[in-house]
Amino acid sequence: MGYLNGFKVTFARLFEDRVTTEFPAEKRPKPVRFHGRHVLNRHEDGMEKCIGCELCAGVCPAKCIHVRGADNPLDDPVSPGERYGFVYEINYLRCIHCDMCVEACPTEAITESKILEFSFTNRDDAIYTKQELVVDDEGRPRHQPWELWMEGEDEHLSGWMRATAPSGAAAFEGRVGWSGDLGHGVRPPEEGQTAADEFEGAEETEAAT
Amino acid sequence: MSDATRVYRSPPREGSPVSDPTEAPPDDGVKITIDGREFTAHKGELLIAAAERAGTYIPHFCYHSRMSPVGMCRMCLVEVDSGRGPGLQPSCMVPVSDGMVVDTESETTKRAQEGILELLLINHPLDCPVCDKGGECPLQDQAVAFGPGESRFVEEKRHYEKPIPISDLVNLDRERCILCDRCTRFAREVAGDPLISFTERGNRTQVLTFPDDPFSSYFSGNTVQICPVGALTAAPYRFRARPWDLDQVESTCTTCSVGCRIAVQSSGDQIVRRLGVDIDPVNHGWLCDRGRFDYESAYSPERITDPLMRGRAGDSELIEATWPAAMAATAETLREAIDAHGASSVAVLGGARLTNEDAYTWSKLARTVIGTDNIDSQLADGLAAEMVLTLPRATIDEACSADTVIMFGVDPKEELPVLHLRLRHAVVEDKVPMIEFSPVETSLSRHCRSVRHLPGALTESVSELLASEGERIGSGSVVVVVGRGSLAGSGEDIEAAVAAIRQAIPHATFLPALRRGNVMGALQMGLSPGILPGGLAFSEADRLGEDWAGSQPVVSDEPGLDAAGILAAAAAGRVAVLILLGADPLADVPDRDLAERALAGAGTVVAVDTHLTVSARRAHVVLPASGPGEKAGTTTNLEGRISRLGPKVTPPGTARPDWMIAVELADRLGVDMGFADSRRIWDEISTVVPMFSDCPVERIESPEAQDGILCRPAGDGDLRWDPPAAVAAPPVDAYALRLVSSRKLYDQATMTANSPSLAGLAEESRVRLNPRELDRLGVTDGGRLAFVSPRTRIIATVSGDEKVPRGVMAMTFNAAGPAASELIELGTVVTEVRVETL
Repeated sequence: MGYLNGFKVTFARLFEDRVTTEFPAEKRPKPVRFHGRHVLNRHEDGMEKCIGCELCAGVCPAKCIHVRGADNPLDDPVSPGERYGFVYEINYLRCIHCDMCVEACPTEAITESKILEFSFTNRDDAIYTKQELVVDDEGRPRHQPWELWMEGEDEHLSGWMRATAPSGAAAFEGRVGWSGDLGHGVRPPEEGQTAADEFEGAEETEAAT
Repeated sequence: MSDATRVYRSPPREGSPVSDPTEAPPDDGVKITIDGREFTAHKGELLIAAAERAGTYIPHFCYHSRMSPVGMCRMCLVEVDSGRGPGLQPSCMVPVSDGMVVDTESETTKRAQEGILELLLINHPLDCPVCDKGGECPLQDQAVAFGPGESRFVEEKRHYEKPIPISDLVNLDRERCILCDRCTRFAREVAGDPLISFTERGNRTQVLTFPDDPFSSYFSGNTVQICPVGALTAAPYRFRARPWDLDQVESTCTTCSVGCRIAVQSSGDQIVRRLGVDIDPVNHGWLCDRGRFDYESAYSPERITDPLMRGRAGDSELIEATWPAAMAATAETLREAIDAHGASSVAVLGGARLTNEDAYTWSKLARTVIGTDNIDSQLADGLAAEMVLTLPRATIDEACSADTVIMFGVDPKEELPVLHLRLRHAVVEDKVPMIEFSPVETSLSRHCRSVRHLPGALTESVSELLASEGERIGSGSVVVVVGRGSLAGSGEDIEAAVAAIRQAIPHATFLPALRRGNVMGALQMGLSPGILPGGLAFSEADRLGEDWAGSQPVVSDEPGLDAAGILAAAAAGRVAVLILLGADPLADVPDRDLAERALAGAGTVVAVDTHLTVSARRAHVVLPASGPGEKAGTTTNLEGRISRLGPKVTPPGTARPDWMIAVELADRLGVDMGFADSRRIWDEISTVVPMFSDCPVERIESPEAQDGILCRPAGDGDLRWDPPAAVAAPPVDAYALRLVSSRKLYDQATMTANSPSLAGLAEESRVRLNPRELDRLGVTDGGRLAFVSPRTRIIATVSGDEKVPRGVMAMTFNAAGPAASELIELGTVVTEVRVETL
């Protein structure tokens, strides 16, 4: 019977829960603030939030973002204000998904989605341009043929997802400090966060601003 | 490139001299204490400048070392104790005094700085992410460094219409303006174009132009550079890049021969901006708009990126070719020409676009490899090379501090704008006496003693002055600024006038106001017939070592042809190969007809150029050359100041430096010149040319050379200048007008015409006459008249201009429309034109 001893672990595991995820049929759940591929958000009126300021490109440690601004056409403005993102490219062969660009963005234009399951067959596909990055008319990310999206994965986007509290002050917890997005409007604070009215000391914070 | 000229000095200096530790304290020094440290300042020095030299930075916005202090922004408030107890004083308005105790870090100072910044930011919009200044903005930086961090103001900010164009080149955003008076002060004090000013009062105070009068100054770009916020931005740079993606190299502007020091900035291997760098001897940080913005021409569709060749059938189109094919064809043509007609059937025109190294290599190629002396870097529109190289030369500083400045043959504002700024400052602010001779009023006329003379009668006019006042003038230092203003005359009168001054005032020194980029370098490298590198005569060829002495058979001959001679020979069919080294004779030779005939008559025309100019279109082979910002090397300004050029971007397509083209041609003609980079060429120049022997590569590359190294001909060589005998102007023909045709800053020049922002600023060709002359002829402003010279008859639009005296007609050279060069015949002392009404 000696050789059966070797199967002891195997048989014992047979009756435990399976740890294998049947990828690509299913995916393991990701944390809400997971850093996936980027999206460029739009304002609620459909205008692009990106103003082409290049702060994301400047802060990017992998130098994977290339942005060029241009004069906003007065008759058909792309974004509110003088300048808009004329060229916006991210090279996903370089991107390390550190989210620094998201932190640097002054308009919450660039945020990261939950999607990280994408592969390319050529280098050109790895460079996402505005065409791929800007959300569609419903405010949803544009699915690329080589990306694997699951139901509900395109929900958690926009400035609402940023890690830092608005204005960097923890005392602002529970207050909406993010702007509205096309298709989503202004999202309420997340579950588990104190809502403004029940937040202890909310009145002082209110008074302070 | 191995000799990459990378000297970083960023941000571009704003003329804030940093104390030199080796500098001895001045005798009349004033002892002050700054933050507990003793410092000896100059007498009368402003506290802010003294502190800067002592290494203590006092934040400021309105103070600028090249302009008078106004104390507008209050940012430089520091606690000063001059014996009556400490108190806040604006350090830009307070001269140092003995025993002054300054505390730039006291609580009171800090509170003042925080307060001022909080106030300045009340109305300053949060445009930083979209503002061109964001990232290099003094207001941004100082708000971070000295600001309170928070504002107590929650009120709506003041609103104005977002950027309004105040000129074709400059946008003004009044919301961002902090009213520091820098731009308006610059326009008033430095440029002398007070076209912008504060308007309204109180909270509505704003900088504006006068109604319907744009800020059309030649120097408007400087206001953008000195604006401490993003209120003034340059239209060509608008949203082109952010400061953090700019890469910078220090270089010298080669748009004209003043040689302003610049910072060339690129983003993504494209030049996107030029900024002025403050150097004491030349530009004081200023640039003209042409020099600032004509980098755009590098990206024009007319830029040549690959060699072009015509098929064997002579009339076929220019089509793209490979370098080997184009070089083989050129070398073959050269060899055939030399074999069939001798080396003197080859001629080289141009070379002022080249670096010193390029010019030397081409000079050596022509003299020692090809064996021709028909070579001229000026297109019959400059001054005699012998004169330029033998006259005792002055520097710009010497001109600006002379006891008397005599100027003729140049309107510096139109041709050498930053020299104009320097001279204007000398004349207007420092009260340097200037005597100017000009047939028409120039930009400096109203500030100095201006003598009008008839075109062609300069010599008489100058002699008259010398006869009556020569002794008085000669008792002090005299600098003569001499150029070739009007191209309608032969320029002999200018030479005669120079000779007259030389005779009357032997100690006078001269600043040759030649116009083209590196024309001085080209002349000093021997791109002129009968002159070898270093301004040596043929008889001194052995001083240049073996290579040059070995070309004795060539150089012992009679000097070759100058530009006029080359053109005439080409027209007569005696030039088998005409090489245009960045020359555009059709546009630049004063005699258009002769240039036309020369290009038609030359056997094969080879153009080495950056752009497909009118003349290059006529060439049989076109070789693309790298342009400014694309090549290493050195350039020489009008004073003879040698400074390094910074290569910043790769040339487009397969364009390459001119020296490389010369080396390959030589190689194909069987001579190995042994040059692999421009550093190696300068090494040879400094070794073999006596004039540059104290200027080795190491010195050129040392920090000392950042302001340029003065290298002037010693004047002890065999080269002689024989001034023409006093030229008598022909008697006045009462029925004719005398033509004055000089250049404007913006014309059809290659770089200007190919820069989209500047091209629109060039005026259409028009004839300017005295208004009374118009009355006499019975035409009004904008009317048309026919003008008949011995050459041809043209019809042109006329306008009245008080600056033009009666009997003279002024016509801009190389403007779009009827060309003045059609009226001019090369070699005549004056061009007389008869007028016909239509």
